[in-house]
Amino acid sequence: MTTLRPFTCDDLFKFNNVNFDPLTETYGLSFYTQYLAKWPEYFQLAESPSGQIMGYIMGKVEGHLDNWHGHVTALTVSPDYRRLGLAALLMSFLEDISEKKRAYFVDLFVRKSNQVAINMYTNLGYIIYRTILEYYSGDQDEDAYDMRKALSRDVNKKSVIPYTQPVRLEDIDMN
Amino acid sequence: MAHQQQQGMDSALFERRLRPVYDNLEVGNNRKALQESEKLLKKHPTLLCARALKGLSLLRLGRYDESHGCLQTVAEEKPTDDSTLQVLSFCYREMEQLDKIVELYQHAVKQNPGNEELLAHLFISHVRVEDYKAQQAVALQLYKAQPKNAYYFWSVISVVFQGIRGPESAQPEKRKIYLGLAQRMVDKHIKEGKLETEQEAFLYLHILKLQSKYQEAWEFLTGELCAKLYPGAPVSMKFELLKELGNWRELNELLQQLLDADRDRWDFYKEYIQSSFELLKLTSKAEENGERDSLAKCQEFLQGIIDSSERKKRGPYLARLELHQRMRADQLPAEKLVGDFDEMIIEYFRLFGDKSCCTHDIALFLPSISMKQRQALASKLLLESGVTSTSLPKNKEQMQKHLCALQISRMCGSHMELPVDHLLAFYTALKLHYEHGRSTFGKKLLSTEMGPSDAYALLAANVMYDLSRRENKSDYLFEALCLLQYVLRNSTSNFHVKLLSLKIYHLFGCQVGAQEMYEYLDIKQIQLDSMGYVHCQLLPLGGRFSGTRNVYDATLKFFTNSYKERLEYIALTYRFCTFSKMEEFMNFKERLTNSLQYVACSVEAQICDLVSCYGNIQQNLTAYSAMSIEPAEDRIAWHELSDNRDLEAVIRWDPLHEVDAAEERKESFDQEVEVLQVRSLMLRLFASFVDLYHGTSSKDAPAGKETATLELLRESWTGLFQRLRLMNYKPLAQKFLVNLLPTRLHLLLELPYERFFDDLAQLVLDLQSGSGKLAEQCKRVGDNVITVMELCVQTINESNECNGMDGLWKRRQHQQKVAASLEMLSLYAFLLSVLNDKLQVSSKTKTKKRQVDNKVDGTQPISEKERSQMLQELVRQLKHKLESCDAAIRTWKAPVLPRDLSSFMSDMSLKPEVEATLIGDVSATFKDSHELMVPELRNLLKDKIRMVAK
Repeated sequence: MTTLRPFTCDDLFKFNNVNFDPLTETYGLSFYTQYLAKWPEYFQLAESPSGQIMGYIMGKVEGHLDNWHGHVTALTVSPDYRRLGLAALLMSFLEDISEKKRAYFVDLFVRKSNQVAINMYTNLGYIIYRTILEYYSGDQDEDAYDMRKALSRDVNKKSVIPYTQPVRLEDIDMN
Repeated sequence: MAHQQQQGMDSALFERRLRPVYDNLEVGNNRKALQESEKLLKKHPTLLCARALKGLSLLRLGRYDESHGCLQTVAEEKPTDDSTLQVLSFCYREMEQLDKIVELYQHAVKQNPGNEELLAHLFISHVRVEDYKAQQAVALQLYKAQPKNAYYFWSVISVVFQGIRGPESAQPEKRKIYLGLAQRMVDKHIKEGKLETEQEAFLYLHILKLQSKYQEAWEFLTGELCAKLYPGAPVSMKFELLKELGNWRELNELLQQLLDADRDRWDFYKEYIQSSFELLKLTSKAEENGERDSLAKCQEFLQGIIDSSERKKRGPYLARLELHQRMRADQLPAEKLVGDFDEMIIEYFRLFGDKSCCTHDIALFLPSISMKQRQALASKLLLESGVTSTSLPKNKEQMQKHLCALQISRMCGSHMELPVDHLLAFYTALKLHYEHGRSTFGKKLLSTEMGPSDAYALLAANVMYDLSRRENKSDYLFEALCLLQYVLRNSTSNFHVKLLSLKIYHLFGCQVGAQEMYEYLDIKQIQLDSMGYVHCQLLPLGGRFSGTRNVYDATLKFFTNSYKERLEYIALTYRFCTFSKMEEFMNFKERLTNSLQYVACSVEAQICDLVSCYGNIQQNLTAYSAMSIEPAEDRIAWHELSDNRDLEAVIRWDPLHEVDAAEERKESFDQEVEVLQVRSLMLRLFASFVDLYHGTSSKDAPAGKETATLELLRESWTGLFQRLRLMNYKPLAQKFLVNLLPTRLHLLLELPYERFFDDLAQLVLDLQSGSGKLAEQCKRVGDNVITVMELCVQTINESNECNGMDGLWKRRQHQQKVAASLEMLSLYAFLLSVLNDKLQVSSKTKTKKRQVDNKVDGTQPISEKERSQMLQELVRQLKHKLESCDAAIRTWKAPVLPRDLSSFMSDMSLKPEVEATLIGDVSATFKDSHELMVPELRNLLKDKIRMVAK
């Protein structure tokens, strides 16, 4: 049971029950403000009937020609509101907006080790499009899966023909 | 202009030459950047950009006067090249001289009329100072130069802001004119077929709504153009307009359609139920039409969704409960139409009790029923969970249901009346359930997950607090702390456990433990503002000074950075033409810059620095000047202070009838603001003492007015205390574990702060004038010092005595009192060293100056020599009293921890070695905390003794 609404600046003061989660990054202000200013409709929040933040999705739309696509930058759900299908709801919202913006596909990056998330995206129709080597830097660098789902504009599903070899970030044109 | 041509020709060359300066600035190597720029200027003395960069380097090096002069001469040349302008505006932004940027670009535009880039910069410079009228004019020039839609709409939004935010917005007729103009501007554009983007469409709708032209807005929203440009328009816009238009029937039908497709949307259900109630009002007027009751239809619709859904969603069930609740509120026959409330809740519990959000859901509907019904319902849910006092949950789902039922019982107040032995047994059961759940269902826990049974332990901690509070002793709560620390070992990412532990550590005055939990929470960025309250507000006067300063540093760094960036965020919304976010960004900027947390941390950090000064007098005065406290100037916007605390982040299941979150927030905020009043005034008053002898401001003051600021502040100081005593604030209630700890307000009122600084003010004045009452005043100040010293000594004795009974319960209060005593004495020591320095210097040079200002009444002022002697006496006395404090602190014993805990966890299936290390570790944290505090305080005293001994 959810209210979906645009994420606002004031929510930055109240999202702690979500952001204290160890897999959710709290970014610098300029990161959030850039998304809010540039792609306001891509930053949506799910609110519980009691007014608590249940989770949110942050994304953007970019790329040229048939690479014009929606991208999921962050998706997070508070521990109290898991197993309710909330992530799926937020994802479908983002796909919907991307459809309306005539994007060809939606993509996202996920840690290779995050099996829970990978399963979820697979269930939502995403495929592993390619592996990006050492995408996540940290104590131990980690590879990312670039996962994709074609939208209706990509009639021939050209955007989801997977790579056969892993790539490095610097070797791919993100646009 | 010659050098500009030169620059134009060789721009690539100069670019290359300037590079090293930029590079050094970027990595913070400002000294090198300065050298590079000077080197370049030797060859090309007229190169404006190099001069500007020199100014920036100087600014970064803190050589403000030189930087100023340098930048000023560059600005006077009215530069027009982009790089110079960029550097200059960067400097002005850094110095908060935003109007200078406006001037800069105005000159540049004058020389290059119609230059798009310069005009755009000029526009943004107006945005920074929120000059909407000027914005409008520049935007129109831009549109003339380059007919881009963005520029046209920049001018439209500038007109809108003049109507709703600008200086004239308070006049309704002006507002109307501006909004009407804005609308006509867009109308014209639409007619010419030039509307292009969704944000433009949004802005048009917004303008119409601001003028209450809802019908026009509706037509536009549902029209072809909007569908084309703004396909993602939120459906909530439709709700809003239909509501304004009173078109409840259409709204009702629209929502039914939406809900059919999306059955779990609370926002839809809420509007749907409201529209049903509105329709009811209509039908009762026109009942003869034979229309069926809209509520019956609503109920039928909800039931239909329930019956036809394969996968059970919470939505329609909660909606039905909401309908029930609203009908009861309107004295309508809810039970007859919707069903029995208790049964519906139980059904809900049966279906969704295994989800952790079930507690939040059910809690929504509890306030609408009587206490008796609540408690009866809680018992039914417990029964329904199937877990009894003799059985354990059979699976994870049942355990979650049990947890939910327990949480609800607490919310219904069922635990409050239980006798102590009952509560203790309850605690033991919770502990057992935790351990059972952990070992049975929590085995394969990922490090990023919370344990499935952690909530038992959280509840247990709350229960133990209730017990501690009832009996006024710490044993129970200390045991709860051990339990929480045990949980934290098993599920390292449970932030609820960290937050509660942090609270308990603070409550017991254990700063090391609190700091550990704070760091463990990894609070950063904007969380420093919204969550900082769990730690920062409790640190000042907590017993330590230097550790405190580091926490402030991290916090202040975030705030200063965001303060610098704050206007660029708004500029960003213009760059992307995000009209829907502009006001939001502006309000956000206000909230952030006026954060109480920000202001309070800045003030406390300054006090902390003054208290901890340890250098020689020259070093201390340099440090003091660098703080640039302006006593005469109150820089705090008291009425704008903003409460950014996220109080809801700390989970609680306290009895709903005893909790008033809004009131708690208000009370604590009001008190924190008062504390800030005291602290900031104390700082300014103290600074006025120092400035009278070493400041620059008092020299500028006309003769005889040097003491005006001091006297004014002193009056405010006593006035403030008088007002605070009259206000009769109550200490914050400490009923539950998650209640905020009392603010320092009552401590500041109880301790002799007021008199201490008031008498110091008189002393400083008398010393300056050589008043005949000086000796008397010295005596008074000396007595205050004795009082404060005795307070310190007595508190420590009391604290040591407490160790015999309960070493923790009053620990925090004791530490606060000792810290406050040392704070007063440390500031006094600093002041004496300043006065002493000055008087010694002036008594040496005095012979050359003849005293001319004989008093009217004929009494000669006391000679400087005598004044100096009296001061010496005060210094001697302070030194002695500081030594007494030191002697007392030396005897301060570490807190003795509550009763033997060897039985703790004996019921759990723990290995004895785990148990031993756990309790050992928690105990060691308390010991460490004390053992860190004592030398720190003693060093502080040692520094002060040295400071006055010189």
